[in-house]
Order: sequence, then structure tokens, then C-alpha cells
Amino acid sequence: MNQETTVQHHSAAVLQMKGVSKIIKGKAIVDKLSFEIRKGEIVGLLGPNGAGKTTTIRMMTGLIKMSEGDVIVNGYSMREHFNSAIAHIGAIIENPEFYPYMTGLENLRQYQRMTDQLEPGRIDEVVRLVGLQDAMNKKVKAYSLGMRQRLGIAQALLHRPKLLILDEPTNGLDPAGIREMREYMRTIAEVEGISILISSHMLAEIEQICHRAVVIQNGRLITVSELGTARRTDEHVILTLRVDSVEAAVVVAEQQEGVELMEAEPEIRQIRVKMMDSRVPDFVKALGARGVGLYRISEDKQSLEEEFLKWTGGNQIA
Amino acid sequence: MRNFNRLIVNEWLKMSRKKSFLIPFLIVLVLPLLVGYVSHTFSTQTPEPGGAFMKDSLLPSGIGQIVTILAVIGTAGMVAKEYSLGTIKFLLIRARSRTVILGSKYMTALLYGFTLTLVTLISGFTAEMIWFADGIQSLDVQMILMSLLYGLVYTAVYVTFGFMMGILTTSTGATIGITMFVIMLDKIMIFRDFYKYMLFPNMNLSVYQDGGAPLPGMTLSFSSIVLSVYTLLFLLISFTVFRRRDVA
Repeated sequence: MNQETTVQHHSAAVLQMKGVSKIIKGKAIVDKLSFEIRKGEIVGLLGPNGAGKTTTIRMMTGLIKMSEGDVIVNGYSMREHFNSAIAHIGAIIENPEFYPYMTGLENLRQYQRMTDQLEPGRIDEVVRLVGLQDAMNKKVKAYSLGMRQRLGIAQALLHRPKLLILDEPTNGLDPAGIREMREYMRTIAEVEGISILISSHMLAEIEQICHRAVVIQNGRLITVSELGTARRTDEHVILTLRVDSVEAAVVVAEQQEGVELMEAEPEIRQIRVKMMDSRVPDFVKALGARGVGLYRISEDKQSLEEEFLKWTGGNQIA
Repeated sequence: MRNFNRLIVNEWLKMSRKKSFLIPFLIVLVLPLLVGYVSHTFSTQTPEPGGAFMKDSLLPSGIGQIVTILAVIGTAGMVAKEYSLGTIKFLLIRARSRTVILGSKYMTALLYGFTLTLVTLISGFTAEMIWFADGIQSLDVQMILMSLLYGLVYTAVYVTFGFMMGILTTSTGATIGITMFVIMLDKIMIFRDFYKYMLFPNMNLSVYQDGGAPLPGMTLSFSSIVLSVYTLLFLLISFTVFRRRDVA
């Protein structure tokens, strides 16, 4: 599965990791990591603490030198043409840190002066996108963490990058802030049409916004998983049904071809069954024919968390 | 070149937007006037007319040393503060090489030292004109310019040393501490032959003015070469370390 997903459309790749390693004192912190991010895609970089996520991101942005391999950004090698490669990347690495004694606007001007050819209205544009218009003339030391995050995004988008890299973007934010952050990321992906790489150890977060998840552990690629894709009908699904009569439902389930009864819980009037996706309509019809009243039907989705634990070998602490 | 100038603007703003920015300028503005007033009013031995007071206010043996200390304090955080604030991450992920970024920082550090010296020069000139000189034409312009040059060299070498320490220690406090300690040390003279190749006895070029030498065998050109070699060494270490260091 990883093979299929990692090797396709080289032309559309915004970023390619090519066998990137970081070796410190003979130990590989990141070990021959290869994956790619396509145009317009939101990708999650997932792994337990200490898996090498931050090291990977710091190598992508040139803050840490690679020991082996190369990162290709929009066709430019990070090693050979750093300036051209980094020009297509906007990033927030860990917490966004600004010069606290300067205003938000003065901070953004700092980065504007470090960018080639930037049209004059661009600062206003990104400030409006993150909704910081009223705070631009306040000193950054008076900003809340949420506001600093937004200023961080403004800073990252200033030079119209093709790829936005966010390292643990919701770290330290409250639930409202996390939700806000998620909305910004969606807006950015749509409005600016750029790819986003989000590193996180929060699975639910990745599951909610990413198209794909790259899972790493101990610096190695474990799997690349497509998220939220349409289910194939030849796959098994597990359904939980709430019915008026568990007994009658059990009889139907046992008689119906291709349906496996997994569990019956008369106390809460629920049964769990497993079958091919394509057989679900017939099963529902059969229940109706026997006069079994159906209150609810829901899928027991294997959450990303379970998959993650499976990939990374349970609760082993890396 | 335009890009480089914009980086210098950035660095200058990082220093000048701080509230404490004006304090060193006030010190070098007030100090020559204060010293001039005191020595004119209370001292029996007033400096000779013709620019001697102005000369002393520029030299490392006089107020010039205060200028150097203030310049070191003002520039110690240029690299170290980026690390302690965490702003180094945003600074280095731009389409500018580390060499160019550090180059702009170094130029700004020198610019800061020169600006402080310029203010001292203006203030020293004012004090000279009020209390000591017999008119502007009596000033020994060449002597004053030479003193200005010696003062600038002294400041530039220590600012370079402090700049290097800022990169090596990534701590503003340690940088100021170490550089101050070294500035104190340069008063100590060890009368051994090897010592003339050290940095300290060569720092103050004004000692050659009266035909003297700190140690036998030392000349103005000898000291100039030694200072150049040390300055280049400091810069080489600074740029090599800054370019290679992983920002973790």
C-alpha cells in the first residue's frame, strides 16, 4: 500500500523527501526518509514523541543540515539551491516567536524586507486572511498565544509559498483556538491553494483535516495512509444496530447469508454485525421484512488511533 | 546590494525599537561635556588648547573606552537574542543565506559602534570649543583624526570579538561578561617576548604616537598586522560556526 501511494505524479509533487537521514553520534535520528507532498494536499506527519518529526521538519526548512539525502522543493534542491527552494516554503516551527518589543506590523515588515519582489498590499492581504487587522499596531508582547499563532501564519504566507509547514500548530492552544486554527488551515488551502504539512502527535487533529498521513517512528517511515477516501464496497464493515427486539434481530442476522453476528447486547438493545459493504442493503431489507424496528444504524469505524497503535506497535514508547 | 541594505535596516530596527536604545547615546553625549566642565572648573591642570581634550575623549585610554564598552553591550545580543527569543527560526527560513544574514548583522554592529563614536566626537568637540580651544582654527585636526581612527579600531576589534562570543555562547550575558573581562585584561602587560603576538598589547595604537612602544620590537605596522589577523580569525570562526550550526 505504501508503495502505491508514495510513487506517483512526480511532476505534481511540491516537496519530495529523498532518502533524508540525520545521523548524530552514529545514531540515526531520521533514517532514509522518503515521501512526497503533492499540490494542494494537506498531509499529516504523525508519530509518537521522539519519532523524529521535528528533526524532519527542521531539515526540510534548512535549520538542521541533512546527513544524507536531499529535499526537493518545487524542483529545487535544498542542498544546491537553498534560496530558491526555501522561497517556496512558509513555516512555523514549534511556537511562533516574534520580536516582542515590536508591533505585529513591524514584525511582518521584517520578513517583507527579506523577500524578493513583494507587492505593497500583500501584508494587508495576509493580515485580513488571519483576521488580525485590529492588532497590527499592538506590540507582540501583548498578544495571546492564539494571536501569535495567527501572526505566525501571516508570516508564513507572506511570500506566497507553495507549501506551508506547521510543526505542532495547536500545541498550547485551548479547544476554541484549536478549532480556529483548523478553520484557518482549511481556508488557506482553499483560498491560497497551497499544500500544507502538519506535524502532530494528536491523531484526531490529523484525522479531521488531512488527506494523507505519513506515519514515522524511530525516524523511519512506517506507512502512508489515505484518510477520508471513499470506501470500497468489497470491504468488510462493522455495524452497530439499535433495534426494538434484539432476539428477532439475532435470528435475522444468523439466517442472512454473509452476515456475521459479533455481539448481542439485549440490555441496551444493540447488536453488532460484520458483513461486506455490498450486503448492507439486503440485510436492512431482511430486518424490515421480519418487522424488526430499527432505531439507529452506525458504523464502527476503525479510528486512526487504532490504526496508529497498530502501525507503531501499541504503546511502545520510542 | 539593495537586498543587503534592507537586511541592515532590519538589524538596525531590532536594536533601535528597544526602549533602552537611547541610553548609550545619552551617556556618550553627556560624558564628554561633564568631564570637560569638571576639569575646566575644578582642575588646576587644564588640557592644552589645540584639541587635547577632544583627543582624550576619543582614545581608548580615556572616554573612548566607555564608547567601546557601550558598543559591546549594545551589540552582544545581536545573534544571542535571536536564539534566546526563538526568532532565529523565522530569520533563517528566508531566501537569504546564513552568510548574508550574519554579514548584515556584523555591518550593523560596526555601524552602531561608529555612530556612538560620532556622537562622542560631536560632544567632545562641543566641550572643547566651550572650555578649552582658542577658536576652531587652533585645533590640531590631524591629531584629532588620528585619535578618531585609533578609537574606532579599538572599538571595532572588541565589537568583532564580542560578536564572535555572541555566536559561540548564544548568551547575551555571557558575551558581555567575557568581553568586559577581556577589556580589563588588556591593561595587564607581561614583559615576555611572546606577549607581543597576543591581542592585548596591540589594542591601543595611540601608544606609538610619542615614538614609544609597549614592548621592544613592536611598531605601528606590527600592531596593525596583528590586529588584522585577529579580527579575520574572529570573523572566520563566527561565520564558520554560524553557517554550520544546527538550530535545534
